[in-house]
Amino acid sequence: MQSVLIVDRSEETREVFSTALARRGLRAILASHPQSGMRIARALRPDLVVLDVESDNLDSEEIYSHFTRESVINKTPLLLLGTIRRNAEKIPGREIIDKPYHYGPLVRRIEELLNRDCCVVSHDD
Amino acid sequence: MSSLFVIRGNDQGLRFELELPVVSLGRDLSSTIQLHDTEVSRQHAEIRRTGDRYAIVDLRSSNGTFVNGRKMGGDVAEQYELFSGDQIQLGGTLMLFTGPTEETPEDIASTINIGQPLEGERSNIIRSMAQEEGSRFFEIGPNATQDPWLNRARSNLQVMYRTALAVSHTLDIGQLLDRIMDLIFEWVEADRGCVMLINPATKVLEPKVRRTRTGVESEDRITISKTILDFVTERNEGVLTSDARQDERWDSAASIVRAGIREAICVPMRGRYDMVGMIYIDTSISPQKRISSNDSEKFTEDHLKLMIAIAHQAALAVEDTRYYSAMVQAEKLAAIGQTITTLSHHIKNILQGIRGGSYLIELGLSDNDQSVVRRAWKILEKNQNKISSFVMDMLTFSKEREPDLKPAEINAIVDDAVELMQTRGSELKVQLRWQPDKSIPKLVFDPDGIGRAVLNVLTNAIDAAAEENESGGGQVGIRTEFTEKATRVIVEDNGPGIAPESIDGIFSPFVSSKKGRGTGLGLPVSRKILNEHDGQILVSSEPGGGAKFTLELPTVLACSDSQANDDSQDG
Repeated sequence: MQSVLIVDRSEETREVFSTALARRGLRAILASHPQSGMRIARALRPDLVVLDVESDNLDSEEIYSHFTRESVINKTPLLLLGTIRRNAEKIPGREIIDKPYHYGPLVRRIEELLNRDCCVVSHDD
Repeated sequence: MSSLFVIRGNDQGLRFELELPVVSLGRDLSSTIQLHDTEVSRQHAEIRRTGDRYAIVDLRSSNGTFVNGRKMGGDVAEQYELFSGDQIQLGGTLMLFTGPTEETPEDIASTINIGQPLEGERSNIIRSMAQEEGSRFFEIGPNATQDPWLNRARSNLQVMYRTALAVSHTLDIGQLLDRIMDLIFEWVEADRGCVMLINPATKVLEPKVRRTRTGVESEDRITISKTILDFVTERNEGVLTSDARQDERWDSAASIVRAGIREAICVPMRGRYDMVGMIYIDTSISPQKRISSNDSEKFTEDHLKLMIAIAHQAALAVEDTRYYSAMVQAEKLAAIGQTITTLSHHIKNILQGIRGGSYLIELGLSDNDQSVVRRAWKILEKNQNKISSFVMDMLTFSKEREPDLKPAEINAIVDDAVELMQTRGSELKVQLRWQPDKSIPKLVFDPDGIGRAVLNVLTNAIDAAAEENESGGGQVGIRTEFTEKATRVIVEDNGPGIAPESIDGIFSPFVSSKKGRGTGLGLPVSRKILNEHDGQILVSSEPGGGAKFTLELPTVLACSDSQANDDSQDG
């Protein structure tokens, strides 16, 4: 079963993701702080990471650049929720989603990123 | 350090320090100062520094660069040196340049000694004098000399001094112009006068103040010849005119006046920048006076000089008023901008919560899973409460409220608040301990207001305790105290505590230290409510030692007869 790590300070958000992903047959790993999130990511190696960023926080630059580095090294897709710098570089495998977002399209996007093979036309179905 | 302050335009309120030797201004991202203005060219202008001097250069921009209202030539080699107070306009953006101060505060401090007198030195005060006495220098009293020149000089100084005084205390243009007219009529024997200001938007001269000396027969309109106005505008010179007007008919008194001579003075009001307006005064000399007196002139060259000086002072004051109000406006807008940013941040978070709840409900309904629907509903309810708290706090904060005083039980009010917070407390693993003082009788206060004040302080306390004791062990103690003079609700938490220098700041609106969770309005609102009751909130805290908030109300006992009448309503 594929796993998704959700790092978000809001308990509500974690609850919604956990319920939605479980329904889709995905395992949701929850973390409330980026520090614990990073430790968990390194230990459990999820297939995708969703990270909530607060743009006004000076620490957040450091945080998301750490996560970006790990995502590139491990080739793990990273979804950032919120806004970062205006001139953020485009990095493959990293997507930025503005807040407030709608859960429906976001969950679908998570599935798309995880099932990259399904985007290639398969003759088995 | 020199800087540019944007006082008009999309970037209003921003301040840019001019650190680099070359600072580029433009729409481009690569500009040192990027202006968000479609009328600004991508590379519009540059400010170059040599030593302590700053100069601006226009880089052949499409719409030009204006300094103090004048367009710079298109020659890239043309540099204009900038001085403090200069206004630079690029497209629709107007900026104020502030130059480097000549001496830094440290330099000045090292050249002046304030301290104990040296050994053996004793300076005696010979005479001290207050401002009123000093300014009586200007009065022409019995000691006035016979020298007409000195008298005139003194008189003129007095004029300048009093004009400056009059204009320095006024920030309201209307008031300012009234005072100017008062002074003019005091010193000059004019019959009629009028101050006109150029409307900054339309660039048209508009009369602002008009005065007629009492006792003077006034015609309805003051007609100022356009020729004179144009002359004054173009030449930037004051004019003294005399206009002999003949009228054959002598039947009525009015005609006699009209048959007289009208002398007029028209002077430009020019301050640091452009012309801001004009002052016009006139007087009429009846034919009889003209015949009877040798001196047929009322207005002399001296009057003209005086008017020019007064007009200059008035113009400076008008500019100051406008500049000042532009600055105030810009700062207000910057503050509003900040507030809106903070508010929308909170609203966005609440909205995200609502979207989460709604999404979960959809999932629960389609899966026919009641437990999911129930959990989703909880989320929606929580966010609903957040919004309503938020709106209530904003309303409370912004309105001038009279507390709705009623007899009520303070313990019951605090009890309600504690109960409301039980769920949050247990979620955040914070234990609430509530010890009411059972001796408190019915008091008179605004139960909704005090309830809200207590709730906000309690919420803060729970969040603080949770923050410091993440894995449990958070404690909040609530108790009430009664004395004859004051009744107190005391909330103590074992949170991180507050540094003494930050204590004032926690009561400032929109400054939240809760890392984005709080609205920053809770404590300011609580304080406002207590103040409305003539009470106060006291904070006692040390970093690492938790915090203790005391909400103090003057004790107002509910009198027994009103108790009997209103008792039925209160729960």
